[in-house]
Amino acid sequence: MTGLDWAVLLVYLVAIVAFGVWAGRGNKRIDDFFLAGREMRWWAVGLSVMATQISAITFIGTTGQAYVDGMRFLVVYFPLPFAMVILCLTLVPFFYRARVYTAYEYLERRFDARTRTLTSLLFLCSRGLSVGVTLYAPSLVLSVILGWGEATTILAMGGSTILYVLYGGNKSVIWTDVVQMLIIWFGIFLCFGMAIAQLPADVRLPDALALAQTTGRLRVIDPSPSLTRPYTLWSGLIGGLFLMLSYFGADQSQVQRYLSGSSLTQSRLSLLFNAFLKVPMQFLILLTGALVFVFYHFHAVPLLWNPVALARLERAAGAELQPLRARFERAQVERQQAAEAFARERHQKGGGDPSPYLAAGAELDAARRDVVRLYEAKTGESYTDTNYIFPTYILTHLPRGLAGLVIAVIFAAAMSTLSGEFNSLATASMIDFYKRFVRTAGGDAHELLVSRVLTAFWGLFACLIALQAGRLGSAIEVVNRFGSYFYGSILGVFALAVLTPQASARGAFWGLLIGMASVYLVATFTAVHFLWYNVVGTMAVLASGLAITTLAPER
Amino acid sequence: MDEHDEEVPIFRTWPRIYAAVIVCAVVVMALIGVFSKWPW
Repeated sequence: MTGLDWAVLLVYLVAIVAFGVWAGRGNKRIDDFFLAGREMRWWAVGLSVMATQISAITFIGTTGQAYVDGMRFLVVYFPLPFAMVILCLTLVPFFYRARVYTAYEYLERRFDARTRTLTSLLFLCSRGLSVGVTLYAPSLVLSVILGWGEATTILAMGGSTILYVLYGGNKSVIWTDVVQMLIIWFGIFLCFGMAIAQLPADVRLPDALALAQTTGRLRVIDPSPSLTRPYTLWSGLIGGLFLMLSYFGADQSQVQRYLSGSSLTQSRLSLLFNAFLKVPMQFLILLTGALVFVFYHFHAVPLLWNPVALARLERAAGAELQPLRARFERAQVERQQAAEAFARERHQKGGGDPSPYLAAGAELDAARRDVVRLYEAKTGESYTDTNYIFPTYILTHLPRGLAGLVIAVIFAAAMSTLSGEFNSLATASMIDFYKRFVRTAGGDAHELLVSRVLTAFWGLFACLIALQAGRLGSAIEVVNRFGSYFYGSILGVFALAVLTPQASARGAFWGLLIGMASVYLVATFTAVHFLWYNVVGTMAVLASGLAITTLAPER
Repeated sequence: MDEHDEEVPIFRTWPRIYAAVIVCAVVVMALIGVFSKWPW
């Protein structure tokens, strides 16, 4: 990073914190602090919903995913517009008319206190731990790429977000999300444009797309009926639909955004705004990753994308690495020549034979696999570096100033997710626990103070988890896995609440536990892809909840 | 405030905006499908 890049990043951080504090002034009651006074317009809430969903790791991870594997991941977003319409017709009116602060509060009105407490507790446990991972994952990548300490990145991202969320609550969250989402959109178009502009003069965009297509990078639809293959059309459409319904309908970090709308119309419009824009946006992000893949046909590819891992390998392997490096570099030159010949042939004859290019690409992949194997043998650790690809491209190939801007975009993506999560965790702890069990009527000043203390607690907790995450190792995977166990099951409880008037509180509570147990069994004893867990959880809760309602009616 | 208090912008009614979302989603999916198979 040059001085100009640092200046751009610093200006972003200072400006967003100042703007967040300014936008969040005037909170007098928890209604203001948690729901922005219920006076937000649809476009602001819509951008906030979008910004909360796109985290830094989504931004850098999906581009890397497209580079490595292609654009198949896009199918997960295909059902999002349908999920938004379903939610607008079902859960959103229930939440809005019940005038609730949290989604789980509604469950007490429909069922009982224990169902509300259990769902809210599950949200706090999983989201509380995963927000630490949300902070840690981009911090780790940026600290490696930028050469900072992990703690510096964690405190810069987490600390600056805590500052404005603590002061301004949901108003700050939504207005900073609006600005951050516009910055993210700008960054996406910028990266997309730069990836095209930096192709060699004799390689046009259709040539680049043809190269990406030849290697399967443009393939979006995989019609395989397999339940174990990742991101097939069916797991995307069906599993993705349940995932989107769970995330937007039963996760407080999203529900809270649209409950801040000034009317039911505004809340619904904010979701439909996302229904129109989300798939094209994700398409553009993935296509940028595919174009970066082609870009690296004509520029040197590092042996490993993680520079710290590469230095470690060089130290550990010594001379053993040299033949592999020579093979890798030779394969790169051959792939570049084959790609240029392919493009030339297309210009001259209107089409080219892709087989020499594919053979050169396969040799490069094989050489890289051997390097990774050597790393794993020398260190005893598994290795993956998908998340390092895009940040490496930004820092090594974007012009001065623009690199800082795109790093600011990554910060914006991380902070927009963190702010919504800190705010929603504080809301669930305050409304579903403190106000429910500790002090039901404490006065506005007291409630506002406790809400701020809880926001600070969750912010600091996330930083603490992120600072320790490097030592937790596989615990991070456990946290992510834990979240996928209950996501579909919580959706099942909400489905019971709004779709089956006869469902009882007993059926909902035990159905939720049976749903989670079912997902645990499927995850432990089968190789079914995780997108299907949401379907299993929802269906198990619906079936068992209705069965318990019928077989053991409440007196 | 109820949903009937405010008019739906551009589309005017809820059934129309829901239909527009679904048609748009199907068209976008179809276009992406065509894009990925297009003989570049």
